[in-house]
Amino acid sequence: MNRRWIAGAIGVLAVALAACAPGGGASDQGEEAGTDKVTLSLWSWRVEDVKAYEKILAKFEESHPKIHVEFKPFQATEYNNILATGLSGTAGPDVAQLRAYGGLQPLIEAGQLVPLDGKVEALSGFDAKLLEGAKGHTDGKIYGVPFAYQTLQVLYNKKLFGDNGIQPPATWDDMIAAAAKLKAAGITPFAVAAGPDATWTLPIVHEIFGNARYGSTAFRDALAGGQKKFTDPDFTASIKLIKDLEPYFPKDVVAVKIPDVQALFATGKAAMYPTGAFDLAPVLKANPSLEVGVFQVPPPPGSPVTTPVTPGWADGSFGVNARSAHQAEALELVKWMATPEFGQLYSTELKQLSAVPGVTPSDPLLAEMAKNYATNGAPYMLLVDFRYGQPNGDAVFRDEVQKMLAGQTDPEAVSESVQKGVEQWFKPGN
Amino acid sequence: MVQARKLSAPRRRAGRTGAGRRYVPRWRVLAVFLLPALLLYSVFIVYPLVSALDYSFFEWRGIRQTGFAGLGNYRDLLSIYPYDQQVWRAFAHNALFFGGTMLIQNTVGLLFALLLFRYGRGKRFLQAAFTTPYLVDPLVIGYLWSLLLNPTFGPVNALLEGLGLDSWALPWLGDTRTALPVVILVNAWQWVGFPMLLFSAALAGIPAEYHEAARVDGATAWQAFRRVTLPLLTPAIGVVSVLTFIGNFNAFGLVYAMAGSTGSPAGSTDVLGLLFYRVAFLEGGVEAIGRSSALAVLMFVFIFGVSLLATSYFRRRERKLV
Repeated sequence: MNRRWIAGAIGVLAVALAACAPGGGASDQGEEAGTDKVTLSLWSWRVEDVKAYEKILAKFEESHPKIHVEFKPFQATEYNNILATGLSGTAGPDVAQLRAYGGLQPLIEAGQLVPLDGKVEALSGFDAKLLEGAKGHTDGKIYGVPFAYQTLQVLYNKKLFGDNGIQPPATWDDMIAAAAKLKAAGITPFAVAAGPDATWTLPIVHEIFGNARYGSTAFRDALAGGQKKFTDPDFTASIKLIKDLEPYFPKDVVAVKIPDVQALFATGKAAMYPTGAFDLAPVLKANPSLEVGVFQVPPPPGSPVTTPVTPGWADGSFGVNARSAHQAEALELVKWMATPEFGQLYSTELKQLSAVPGVTPSDPLLAEMAKNYATNGAPYMLLVDFRYGQPNGDAVFRDEVQKMLAGQTDPEAVSESVQKGVEQWFKPGN
Repeated sequence: MVQARKLSAPRRRAGRTGAGRRYVPRWRVLAVFLLPALLLYSVFIVYPLVSALDYSFFEWRGIRQTGFAGLGNYRDLLSIYPYDQQVWRAFAHNALFFGGTMLIQNTVGLLFALLLFRYGRGKRFLQAAFTTPYLVDPLVIGYLWSLLLNPTFGPVNALLEGLGLDSWALPWLGDTRTALPVVILVNAWQWVGFPMLLFSAALAGIPAEYHEAARVDGATAWQAFRRVTLPLLTPAIGVVSVLTFIGNFNAFGLVYAMAGSTGSPAGSTDVLGLLFYRVAFLEGGVEAIGRSSALAVLMFVFIFGVSLLATSYFRRRERKLV
């Protein structure tokens, strides 16, 4: 009687614990009885893209009838941990959406991904800047097929510009004059947030206004080679631009949050929104009748680079789990993801900039951003190069810039802090 | 207690004399009741704590251990810029958070308890009203207050401006001088019902004769409170203080909702919980697991140690009362 009780109690517990364990992935249920159709599990952090991926993947299954792909998205904020855990067990994905640059390294160093060099030929045609996002920092191998990239520029409200007799600026001084005019008319010139949820946007604002001022790609190379440091006067001057522009940001900018500035811009209370291509869709969703234009910031006076720059970076890539039981099929899928067919579908269905060469976005604004990047593209330096160690370059940068906007530090001290932070792990010349 | 003793007595006798096999030896019965809880406790509490300790002594590259690090992660955490500064800054903010909460939340809680004890009218309703906010998650409370205090669209500043108090319409969460005090106030607003309930229960337990005796001896109301009520509240004060300490040094949800992961503005609200979150998840370099585990261990040791000391201090104070 009592033994049975104990056994029963243990049984109940075992069932309860088993129910808590993560569900089996596709790898162990791959072969369906009777047919030799393989089911691949594809993990992603884009919960909002389920519908679009179903459409996209249906095309893949048309041309690959023996493979079925199951799209499995997770919450973006939890994704990194879920993926790292999934890749270390047997219930992980076959193909996974991967973060770029520094965010990818922990998985590579743990040996969880398959190098794709020589296996996906189409990668040789990809933009070299974007491929960097999918490479191992120490071994230089490619671990993923980049799917999208982001560009940084200023979105503007065409109607507000028209009403106030303003043209997209051709020079820095034009832009400042336009901002002053808008401010006088009671309109917030630049929708910039530096509040609790927005510190990560400050390095983006800095790139948009200051990339040309610090010297763009040439400065990046000089940093990498050890000829220059963040304390360089040009870099400091690029930070000072943010301080100089503060009068044209919303009042009390360090208390302003991202939804606030999105609302300001979408409702026509702010005229210009310095941000990434990723914000176009949310803004238009909030106000579908908004007429939006795009411009690149003209180089500020004293800039080493005299043409406008569109900074950008690779958003992420698709890679193959080293433990996948279906390596060949998984490879087929990522190969297909490097084709223009996938790129075009991706760009059209998701309104994103596809990383596949030769794909033109159907949306005219995205097409303009893509064109700007193709002619004047430069890496978003702090993200691309300085997320490989702790502390991240952009983590130190955003905290210090917020301090500067709160009146607690100055541009020189910001530069010094960034240099002090990254030089603890960043060794030039590697 | 008496009942329990009565119930267990015959069984113990049975066990000792071995009068019948039908009776189960006691430890097995206990095991059936204790094992499930013990198992859950071990799996979800003891194991993670021990593994954090274990992780903190190793070098990490992603989720791969690459070698024994000794105290290397601890040294890194306390010497690498900007963590070397952020750890102490966050610690100081936690201390301020605790001090402010003791001063505001727990004194106001005591005041409410005294008022409700003395003037019984509407007691049930007011008790419920004061304790309602703590049924809501701190993340939600933080979010709601950040909406109320929003400088662009928030009603608090609109109200202040409407009343002609324009100079009072500050960016409450955007000013380095006001942000932490505002977070402390909101936290107190949420939790004030908790000390109130504990103090109410303790007040109800003080025999009325003590107050009558004090009154007969000619004590003023203040003297009666200071010399009779307050000392007899020592056990409750002890519990409230220790729980406040633990809660404040583990603060995360509210601060995260109101000030983001970086303790906006300019780190003026940064606390240890946020720093841990950043090191572990946000700035996840390949060394993240080791360093964040080291921070978690330091936090645990400190909180556990101080709680033990405080508990034994209050125990001694209580014993003096008897």
